[in-house]
Amino acid sequence: MAYGTRLMVWGERACFTRPEMKVERVSYDVITPSAARGILEAIHWKPAIRWVIDRIQVLKPIRFESIRRNEVGSKISARNVSSAMNAGTTAGLVNYVDDPKERQQRAATVLRDVAYVIEAHFEITEKAGADDSEGKHLDIFNRRARKGQYFHAPCMGVREFPANFRLFEEGEPEPDVSLVGERDLGWMLHDFDFKNGCEPRFFRACMRDGLIEVPPFVSEEVKA
Amino acid sequence: MILSALNNYYQRLMARQVDGVAPFGYSQEKISFVLLLSKKGELVDVWKILDTTGKRPEARLLCVPQPEKRTSGVKSNFLWDKTSYALGVSSTSKRASEEHLAFKLLHKEALSDVKDPSVVAFLKFLDAWNPADYEKYDRLTRFGDELMDSNVVFRVDGEFCYLHESSVAQKIITQRHREEEQDSKSLCLVTGEEDSIARLHPVVKGVNGAQSSGANIVSFNRENPAFSSYGKVQGDNAPVSINAAFGYTTALNHLLRKGSRQRLQLGNTSVVFWAESSSTANAEAAEGLFSGLLDPSATDDSEADKLRSALEVVAKGRPMRELDPELEDDTRVCVLGLAPNASRLSVRFWESGSLHSFVERLAQHYRDLELQPLPWKREPSVGWLLLQTIPPHERFDNNKNIKKNAHEKVKPNLTGEMIRAVLTGGRYPQSLLANLIMRMRADGDISPLRVALCKAVLVRDARIANKLKEKEIPMSLDIENVEPGYLLGRLFAVLENAQEKALGGSVNSTIRDRYYGSASATPAIVFPVLVRNAQHHLSRLRKDNRGAAKNLAKQINEIVDKLPSFPKSLRIEAQGRFAIGYYHQNKARYVGQESSIEEGVEL
Repeated sequence: MAYGTRLMVWGERACFTRPEMKVERVSYDVITPSAARGILEAIHWKPAIRWVIDRIQVLKPIRFESIRRNEVGSKISARNVSSAMNAGTTAGLVNYVDDPKERQQRAATVLRDVAYVIEAHFEITEKAGADDSEGKHLDIFNRRARKGQYFHAPCMGVREFPANFRLFEEGEPEPDVSLVGERDLGWMLHDFDFKNGCEPRFFRACMRDGLIEVPPFVSEEVKA
Repeated sequence: MILSALNNYYQRLMARQVDGVAPFGYSQEKISFVLLLSKKGELVDVWKILDTTGKRPEARLLCVPQPEKRTSGVKSNFLWDKTSYALGVSSTSKRASEEHLAFKLLHKEALSDVKDPSVVAFLKFLDAWNPADYEKYDRLTRFGDELMDSNVVFRVDGEFCYLHESSVAQKIITQRHREEEQDSKSLCLVTGEEDSIARLHPVVKGVNGAQSSGANIVSFNRENPAFSSYGKVQGDNAPVSINAAFGYTTALNHLLRKGSRQRLQLGNTSVVFWAESSSTANAEAAEGLFSGLLDPSATDDSEADKLRSALEVVAKGRPMRELDPELEDDTRVCVLGLAPNASRLSVRFWESGSLHSFVERLAQHYRDLELQPLPWKREPSVGWLLLQTIPPHERFDNNKNIKKNAHEKVKPNLTGEMIRAVLTGGRYPQSLLANLIMRMRADGDISPLRVALCKAVLVRDARIANKLKEKEIPMSLDIENVEPGYLLGRLFAVLENAQEKALGGSVNSTIRDRYYGSASATPAIVFPVLVRNAQHHLSRLRKDNRGAAKNLAKQINEIVDKLPSFPKSLRIEAQGRFAIGYYHQNKARYVGQESSIEEGVEL
């Protein structure tokens, strides 16, 4: 825990989509390690470091809500993007939700009113230069988090649900009383193995009094 | 969690050998006809096998090899199919010959090495059969259109079972499944075991409003990169083993089957529930109680009494075993709400918890609704409550029967949020109160159920927000309550009473018909006029019935005294209290004389 940090994040809504239900989205009960990593990376990330999530403390009761929205049913293809780059204009490079051919009505069962404390540290990668040190990056992260700075807006699983954050520097987080006890959350996405064909890896998430211990990415408990 | 709970349920169903639950590789399908073949492969006879236990004869459910997933392509099922495939005749399909060819090819390929006499007879039949022969067989034509496009199975003369049930066929079916499994295995996120991953999942049938051919919970449209991630195709997006995919869909299809007692239709949401218990009796008792509590209107009076005693037992904190030895407090109950979206299914809500906690929450729900005198004989079902949010003319037809499509008029989102609130004990949807008030203003129907719902929303909100200083809304008239909304509601009821007493019951449009909406929303504009008019009513009444007039005047004065002034407008919650006050005051008129005696009546 020498280089660890704790970040409190909260938001009005959140959607940590279950992979098996991502067309009509259904959220996991709590934030996934990969979503937590995304929030940390939004605040500070460089190729020299790799974030590792150690623990997640859930603070608020787990509540769901379902919504139904019109969304676009396709992505803009990479080929169209590159041809637009060649042509030097973004004309036509757009998807409209009003377009009946593009429109897809999708339902989502999302979380309401969430708050977590993410406990994490980072490792130095092989891309680190001579002047990269753990202390330096930790200082940068803490300073940025304290000031509320970020590279891109951190979000709760999907872009539509922004995440508020603050550095959690002292004291112990107080989970809601409804979280007391042990709860099996089933197999949960840990993260993707980006070096290995973006293979998803899963772990058996278990919540004790709101605390989820996240096993290391390369370990017995995490399976691909 | 949803899929693993369903998969576990399937394992238990299999262990209990429940009727109508197909083993792996099989599926329950509607079959109407049997083609009987001779040993030489000639079509000897055709039997109609219909299930006549219901009101209308229906196709029988038979356990047949799992059907192929057909959307637009031609894919044949194994050893059974509809007539366009099995015989090449159809009244709808334009490519029947193509489909029949696929049927032939599949079986020739799969069965060519088999020496079993009945399989040989079946192959002989396929070789010799020409779709044009159909007209020649009066055994076939006598059924006319009924046979067309229905599913058929085969049976060889002298055998005791259908062709697909014979031991040879079973061996081939298992073998075919093994071939489908890939060599590379990966983690199944339902079971957590290394297993072959399903490319596509079997369909779920029986969700109201979804495509009749079935819909999917887990689906990834191949051409649609918006539904997949990291360039993964189909099942790779969410690795679920073939076994688990089969298990959860079969369990779900079982729950959704026709005549299932574990399903309930609420608006466009199909709700299924099941209890997790190793003992069949425990599970059935739990499911029965849960179903009765969630949808009491479907039960008879003795049943209603039983449910009420269950609610009482739980409210007193006693174990439910006292009620029925088979009821275990900690049996886990799972509730899943599915809503259709064309070929996809979306999860509206998912809740699981102990039976005891669910009964407690339902008891709380009914307590929150309670009004005195109790306006219902049986606890109102959630579906019935939701119908209160639509206008009466959309609810009933001319004969005062509930319209068939009435449930579809309820806002779909409201349904989901409402049942979620009931099951979790959380807040009722905020739109419910707004919706009810809007409806009461629009159609002037201040029905007891609507008022009860208003009260439930407000009571629960106050409890959850833990506003101890705010008075909880009681079940019957509360003369101590000084909230402006409540007082104004009461005042409005008294003014209406004065009008009725003075002018009789035959007034064309009463003040309620005319002013209810504006009185509850903008009291300062309406009430001065109403109170002034009431003086006319009272002076009229004084001539006939001095006592009544005096009493009414006293009631008006009492209420107005408690009001500092008429507020310009009332917020939505206060409008809810207005409805409750109005209802309480009105009801107090009819209930015994207790409340009036307290107020010193000279009747």
